[in-house]
Amino acid sequence: MALVWLAAMVQAGCTAKFIGDYDQSIDNGVSEVQQQAEVYFGKLKADPNTPYDPNFYNQINARMAALRTRAGILPQYPIIQKQIQELQGNLDRFQELDKITPRPVPIGVVTAAETAITVNVESILKLELALKRNTAPSLDEKNP
Amino acid sequence: MSIDTGALAQQMLAAALPVLKTHAIDAESFASVEFKKIADTVASIEVMLHAGQINDQQAQLLFDMQKSASRSVLLTVKGLSLLAAEEAINAALAVVRTVVNAAVKFPLIP
Repeated sequence: MALVWLAAMVQAGCTAKFIGDYDQSIDNGVSEVQQQAEVYFGKLKADPNTPYDPNFYNQINARMAALRTRAGILPQYPIIQKQIQELQGNLDRFQELDKITPRPVPIGVVTAAETAITVNVESILKLELALKRNTAPSLDEKNP
Repeated sequence: MSIDTGALAQQMLAAALPVLKTHAIDAESFASVEFKKIADTVASIEVMLHAGQINDQQAQLLFDMQKSASRSVLLTVKGLSLLAAEEAINAALAVVRTVVNAAVKFPLIP
């Protein structure tokens, strides 16, 4: 039985591969989105009378569209693709919140939104980091 | 030379288990920190709502944002689990390579 399983693994290419590889474009792109968002959160916290800025959302949505496309073409990337959709969903919710919230914006609103978006971003970066340091070398690398 | 499947299984388990444990600790640590942030934020939304600082619509949007953040955390845990399984299988295969190849007299596991 063990031999059958081993033979199947060997035929499959010797190593198991269940998730895609690290992608620097996704890593950098998501970090850039976070930086852009942090600048906007910072402005709102420093001056709660800062008006709703549609340009911020246009820019960040353009960056997110590029990330969605990239994640869509990478092999074995459905998890990070879903995480990018979650991040987009939260940016959309924040845009709606920003539009409907009278000024001055309560700091707590900004902080609560910031936390959610930060968790979205950290979740993607945590997984990308794990993929980057993935210590699943081929058998040849382990037993040269 | 026949293969001692019991010994083989023990070796594979010994190689795979530490990998699984390391990943489990890492995933737990990550999820624990992130869920604490989300829980604190949910509490602050309730406080703002009761204080009249935000209305129901704003509270709903903020709460939906926390739900999305939670889904992202769980997706990361799922991804880390796949990585753990990947590494554990590869570690298990690596440790039995010599024994298996010697038994079958050709490099079945290259």
